Amino acid sequence: MLKLAWASLRNRRASAILTILAIAISTLLLLGVERVREQTQANFANTIAGTDLIVGARTGSTQLLLSSVFHIGSLNNTLSWDSYQYLTKLPGVKWHIPMALGDSVAGYPVVATTSDFFSYFRYGDGLSLELAKGTVFSEMNQATLGAEVAARLGLQQGDPLTLAHGSGGISFSDHDQHPFVVSGILNRTGTPVDQAVYIHLEGLGLLHGEFDSEHSADHDHDDHHDHASHAPPVYTLSAVLIGLEARPLALRMQRQINTYKNEPLTAIMPGMALTELWRTLALFEQALLAIAALVVATGLLGMLTTLLASLRERRREMAVLRALGAGPFSIFSLLVSEAMLLTVIGVSTGVLLLFLGLMLGGDLLLTHTGMLLRASPLTSNEWVLLAAILAAALILSLIPAWRAFRNALADGLTIKL
Amino acid sequence: MGTCIAVKHLEFRWPGAPSPLLTIPSLTIARGERVLLRGASGSGKSTLLSLIAGVHQAPAGQLEVLGHDLGRLSQHRRDQLRANEIGYIFQQFNLLPFLNAEENVTLASQFAPARRKRVQNPEQHAQSLLKQLGLAAADTQRLASQLSVGQQQRVAAARALFGAPSLIIADEPTSALDAEHRDEFIQVLFKACAANQTTLLFVTHDQGLAPMFERTIELSDINHARKDDGDA
Repeated sequence: MLKLAWASLRNRRASAILTILAIAISTLLLLGVERVREQTQANFANTIAGTDLIVGARTGSTQLLLSSVFHIGSLNNTLSWDSYQYLTKLPGVKWHIPMALGDSVAGYPVVATTSDFFSYFRYGDGLSLELAKGTVFSEMNQATLGAEVAARLGLQQGDPLTLAHGSGGISFSDHDQHPFVVSGILNRTGTPVDQAVYIHLEGLGLLHGEFDSEHSADHDHDDHHDHASHAPPVYTLSAVLIGLEARPLALRMQRQINTYKNEPLTAIMPGMALTELWRTLALFEQALLAIAALVVATGLLGMLTTLLASLRERRREMAVLRALGAGPFSIFSLLVSEAMLLTVIGVSTGVLLLFLGLMLGGDLLLTHTGMLLRASPLTSNEWVLLAAILAAALILSLIPAWRAFRNALADGLTIKL
Repeated sequence: MGTCIAVKHLEFRWPGAPSPLLTIPSLTIARGERVLLRGASGSGKSTLLSLIAGVHQAPAGQLEVLGHDLGRLSQHRRDQLRANEIGYIFQQFNLLPFLNAEENVTLASQFAPARRKRVQNPEQHAQSLLKQLGLAAADTQRLASQLSVGQQQRVAAARALFGAPSLIIADEPTSALDAEHRDEFIQVLFKACAANQTTLLFVTHDQGLAPMFERTIELSDINHARKDDGDA
């Protein structure tokens, strides 16, 4: 039966190929969207690990998460060095990473921090940052680059670097009196770490303290009631990442920080904030998936149209088969086999195109959009989608099959031309 | 010899039709007979053939083919009987244009397990039938759509004969052929039927063919439906 369906399809190869192509492309789209969705979610969830709390000035949790982890947007408020000192002394705090944001290198964010960042920051399943070349910054004028920054800007160890005030690509206040030197380059992580420049907090303090006259006012102000044992390298921070001795402490500590009296602070648990943010993004992704599903439906409807249209010109073929003893059910299953053949070939072609595209264009995608898509085997979700396409095709094929069944009974052996 | 087709008081009308199209008191065709059934167009020939072929169902007890009362067989059983025991040749367009001649012949066993069983080597059998019907060996691998009408009808005849069915129904198979090809076609068909002991029911509106057959039946003689209409 399949052989006959195949031969008959080959006879109508122009429309068959177009149908297959439509199904292949719609399958490609659906799987592509699903893959982007899945891997984005995985990459997303992998951006930060091991950090129990992120603390910043009073702001929205999404904003704090976006700026501290993804370096997207800017924080209007900062938290004071005093508050940071308070945080570090809270009981149960195992480690803490201060972060001051706001400068950039050719559009890439500069994160001023301490070497603790490289010791304690974790991503993925608890992976720590590794250096591809050179060393972590140790001098005030040294910078450690994310892999993407180094690759895009063509920077090597020892190259000079000029920081710009503000996060834009073009700034009118370049800190060019204080060139930095690249001390090392990090391994690629597939997280926003790749797209950032890391410098010493003191480096930033030096930079701003000497260059920016606005900050000198702060100097006086801060010096006035500075009760730290020694002068802080900077007076304000954007965010602090905190690791705790025991994770269950996080909830209580979050409350404690959120109600801190001396300065309004916001503490978020990155896992929860990520989930919350993802839920917002997921809506968009689901819309994309829905559109892809509709495209698949269009492809399948195209097949339905083609099959229905072909029935008219194939009445002769059906009459011959009836004369050879084919029952109406044989005709019915012939039509179903044809539809399934078209769909299976279409879907396989789509999967093949996906893998071909990912193998050939995966690197291109990574360098141009930073999106990491692998030609990994089909996930169970993707199998479910493929099965759904086949099931939908099977159900749709019942329509032309039923028509052919009815025709076979009505026409008998007479050939109506 | 036995009976191939036996009609007893057959009365058939299409659903919704005011009067019967066929009223045949009696008709018997023995096994191995070669019969010409003649009738004008619209006289109910095609309907009678579709009843005999089991595509449409005759009322119970009125039509027997190869010992089966077709009125009591299910659609599926009638389809099986046709697949296994009846070869059918149309006036034209018998073949699937996208298969070659040989594939069109072996297609006969696609729905017919009994025919498949009777044939040891399908390709060889098809080749020998095609040769018997006068198709050049080179043409057996050509697509049906590339064959002439005369060649196509020979392939159709070979397919009807494939796996030695008991009955061949030929519905005006020569109407698309010129006189010379027509006679030649009938001769080879006769020879093949004789070799296989096959009953041949040959339907035509062409009066000129009668002399070639051992028995001619005029449908107007045996079908009383029209006359009854006229009398009423």
